[in-house]
Amino acid sequence: MPDILAYLDPGSGSMIVQVIAGGAAALAVMARLYWNRILRFLRIKKDDEVVDQKRVDPK
Amino acid sequence: MSAPRIETSPRPEAAQLEPGSFRDPESRVFYSGDGVFRALSEEGLTEFKALQATRLFERFTADGSLVATDLLEGADAPAGLLAKGTAGVLRHERIPFVSYPYEWPFSMLKDAALLQLDLNLAALEEGMILKDSSPYNVQFRGATPVFVDIGSFERLREGEPWAGYRQFCMLYLYPLLLQAVKGLSPHAFLRGSIDGITPTQMRGLMSFRDRFRKGVYLHVFLHAKLEARHADRGEEVKAEVRKAGFKKELIVANMRRMRKLVAGLEWSPPGGVWVTYGERNSYTDEDAERKDEFVREVSTSRRWGLTWDLGANNGRYSRIAAEGSDHVLAMDADQGPVELLYRNLREEGDEKILTLTMNLADPSPGLGWRGLERRSLPDRGAPDLVLALALIHHVAIAAQVPVKEFVIWLASLRSSLVIEFPTREDPMVKKLLGPKRAGLHPDYERESFERELAQAFDVERRERLESDTRVLYFARPKGAGRPIDLTIPEA
Repeated sequence: MPDILAYLDPGSGSMIVQVIAGGAAALAVMARLYWNRILRFLRIKKDDEVVDQKRVDPK
Repeated sequence: MSAPRIETSPRPEAAQLEPGSFRDPESRVFYSGDGVFRALSEEGLTEFKALQATRLFERFTADGSLVATDLLEGADAPAGLLAKGTAGVLRHERIPFVSYPYEWPFSMLKDAALLQLDLNLAALEEGMILKDSSPYNVQFRGATPVFVDIGSFERLREGEPWAGYRQFCMLYLYPLLLQAVKGLSPHAFLRGSIDGITPTQMRGLMSFRDRFRKGVYLHVFLHAKLEARHADRGEEVKAEVRKAGFKKELIVANMRRMRKLVAGLEWSPPGGVWVTYGERNSYTDEDAERKDEFVREVSTSRRWGLTWDLGANNGRYSRIAAEGSDHVLAMDADQGPVELLYRNLREEGDEKILTLTMNLADPSPGLGWRGLERRSLPDRGAPDLVLALALIHHVAIAAQVPVKEFVIWLASLRSSLVIEFPTREDPMVKKLLGPKRAGLHPDYERESFERELAQAFDVERRERLESDTRVLYFARPKGAGRPIDLTIPEA
């Protein structure tokens, strides 16, 4: 399946609301989301890893 | 009225594009004859075939809430319709009259929202999702919501969030919340912006107390805050969310909660004058009976295609008109009676009468890109018969439209007309004139009204009701009827 971007911009804030709103199902995802941010903040993980992810969303 | 010509295949050379269907690059709607068609790109066709293989496609098509759709073999679409080229063509069932969320009463928008979520939840079970959440993708067959944008279904991509969540908030949740929580009609907001109400705008409309109401803090306050904080970080956030393991179960959980939230929103019209108007207006029983008969005689004198009932109120005459019409548009400026009528018709499973909130003195204009994306009311299909009962005094006296202007507008619809004229002695007219300075509205007189009417129409029938303050007319477009002499007093 081609990984094209949805034609609608999902909105960055709106994506995070979905992680917060997901209740129990979202707890692990939210924990990982913020844990990754802490690691990046502490420079344990590099920003590059996030940039790498962009390659799956070619514009 | 012409019998619908069902085209099995479109004729690309005679096709007309739907001007409101250009946002999705994978699909585009066009018309040919009386047929509604959709061109699909290669991706669009792949997604449609995936949808066709689902159980939900069969189930929702069978119960009428998904527009009936066939994939045409070897059909052509007009060249250049899609940037990526056309790979397939669909034929859709035609919805009798297109309507928009800024014309729907509360329960219609709510039913459309619930249908959107139910389709999404069913789609998720089979690995698909709706890529947007626009109420413009829902239409009504009478009081039955029908999802029409088959091109919205796509296969779910692992790790992607619900792309339509923000749009769902802006065009469904916030408008419904405004009505349910604030008692504020969202029509002006929806008509004012084709994309709906943004989270930031919605936050501005909420009070401190409102944040404690169910769903408001999360979907409005937090949403607005996070949106401001993460503006211009779309790509990063998307990658972050995916990396954190965003999965389908989260979308399902969100949609289930959203469904519960929407299902719990309620609004009931205030018990004002208009809502009970049909029951306690100034008619005697004999008058009401005679008026029913008059409308029934005209309505069933032949088969009418589309009938507009202007100022439909509780829908009494829309129902009578439906006896002899294929479809009826019941319109009223006040949301209250339209809401109540819709609920009754929904209960009955009606598929003929479409209820819309419409102020004739300020009807829906053309909106969106080039003013064509959403069409004005008359652009969406001319009526064959128009009912204007107990209406002209409101238009002429309350909305201050000159009688002549109103008659000219009615004539511009080129349809037959049943119109009622309440004289200045009528209690309702007196009530409307009461607060105004004496001598205003000199054109609101029966004689001058009849002159204007006879100039624009062939008046075929006139009948004065027993109480003597109301007169009914049946008129046809100039040249189409056998006019009577209005200077002779009626029998």
